[in-house]
Amino acid sequence: MMLLLDKLQSIGHKALSSLQRLGRGHMFLLQVLPALEGMLFRPSLLIRQMYSVGVLTLLIIVVAGLFVGMVMALQSYYALVDFGAEDSVSVMLVLSLLRELGPVITALLFAGRAGSALTAEIGLMKATEQLSGMEMMAVNPIERVIAPRFLAGFLSMPLLAAIFSAVGVMGGYLVAVELLGLDAGAFWSQAIANVDLYHDLGNGMIKSAVFGFVVVWIAVFEGYDCVPTSDGLSKATTRTVVHSSLAVLGLDFVLTALMFSE
Amino acid sequence: MHKQVQAHTIHAQIIIISDNHLAPRGPDLSDTLIKIRGMKFSRGERMIFDGIDMDIPRKGVTAIMGPSGTGKTTLLKLIGGQLRPDAGSIEVDGQNVHKLRTSQLYALRKRMGMLFQSGALLTDLTVFENVAYPLREHTRLSEGMIRQLVLLKLNAVGLRGAAQLMPSELSGGMARRVAMARAISLDPMMIMYDEPFTGQDPISKGVLVKLIRELNDVLDICSIVVSHDVSETLSIADYAYVVSDGEVVGHGHPDELNTSDSEWIKQFMDGLADGPVPFHYSAAPVLDDLIAGNLKP
Repeated sequence: MMLLLDKLQSIGHKALSSLQRLGRGHMFLLQVLPALEGMLFRPSLLIRQMYSVGVLTLLIIVVAGLFVGMVMALQSYYALVDFGAEDSVSVMLVLSLLRELGPVITALLFAGRAGSALTAEIGLMKATEQLSGMEMMAVNPIERVIAPRFLAGFLSMPLLAAIFSAVGVMGGYLVAVELLGLDAGAFWSQAIANVDLYHDLGNGMIKSAVFGFVVVWIAVFEGYDCVPTSDGLSKATTRTVVHSSLAVLGLDFVLTALMFSE
Repeated sequence: MHKQVQAHTIHAQIIIISDNHLAPRGPDLSDTLIKIRGMKFSRGERMIFDGIDMDIPRKGVTAIMGPSGTGKTTLLKLIGGQLRPDAGSIEVDGQNVHKLRTSQLYALRKRMGMLFQSGALLTDLTVFENVAYPLREHTRLSEGMIRQLVLLKLNAVGLRGAAQLMPSELSGGMARRVAMARAISLDPMMIMYDEPFTGQDPISKGVLVKLIRELNDVLDICSIVVSHDVSETLSIADYAYVVSDGEVVGHGHPDELNTSDSEWIKQFMDGLADGPVPFHYSAAPVLDDLIAGNLKP
């Protein structure tokens, strides 16, 4: 009986602490959002972070986009050639990239590369008392440290997703046209005829903006809220990647259902 | 204010070159900068401060000493408004720190300097940029003026030549001296030093002791030194508090503490292993643990 009560107590304790963290995360967001306005007056802070969060993530995005596009073209070709519909490879490729793979894979890679780096950087600043030091210098770390990183991540994600999709299409083109011998004109005309600018491209961009918001929110919060020890920092970085990835996949289902259902 | 900043720093530079003797002076206890009354603070179920009272004079060096884990750093964070007490009040220059709005608290913090144990330098900025940081954030001084001020502040701590180094290239003692230069960059009315001597070699320790005393005298401010290095701290302190178990167990001029009859203060001053602070952490009788096997692995 006592064992059961202990177990229940432990479950209750974990549930309560999870709810507290969720509450702290939202309170944190409420502090960050008004601070974003300050970036208008300090663009240098934003530009530096755009470089760190966005530009330095480009390589992994470009390489991943290229290979995903190439694989998609191959798989689509093998599936469609039996039906004599290989000219539709480009449609399948472009729609998959714009609607799903671009935003989702970019967000997952972004969480792994930039999200974990943000958490580690902010957590280390906390552990080495740099954030406390700023507070004691009457400088709000939310405005100077968190807001630029948050905004840079949020703005970078849709751009990175667009680059991922564009490179993916180029990779698919190389495989479909140069390797498998499909007609280049048919490749492009099919793609252009079947892709709707607002419905496909627009919704893909909205998805990537939502994913960017969530990933960067989780990343900066985990860093700011981490226990300032090596163990705490390691756990926070892991949580950033795991929670961001799960949030992206879960949100993707919800957004897809809302955007693309008839 | 800018002229005042320059005058102070130039004065600091001259005094340090002249190598004045480090002489503690009697504090003026009637002029209090920090007034703590009935302050209680706990972390979880552990009581850190149980209704303490303290008066810290406006001028001079005040030491706050006590064994590790007694909440000395916590006390500085409470004074700086980074933590909120459960009960009681902390007044700094007549303002109740924990009743201030954020903007008022930040305005008060511009008049406080704090030296963290780790230095807390911003690791992506050079030494020069670290010292310039508060000036850039809170003043509209020209780049030329900022350069002059920063170099003078660095000269005052003997690190003008290290201006272009990154924090990762500094030793622990140098990092603290840079942090000291940063702490005085806005000419504060008080500086709080959190364990400034911990982990320092004798030379660095001597430099820090000298700098704390001389900066205090030159700038004519309130310096609060939190430390458990008894000899170094008392050599420059005008007044000292000893805290333990959430209470102030003694206070007075360093000479008074050295001759105190209190068993507790004697144990702390002489570094005795056993006394009012027991050698053994609270536990069941040893036989219960060893023979009866009460202790869970």
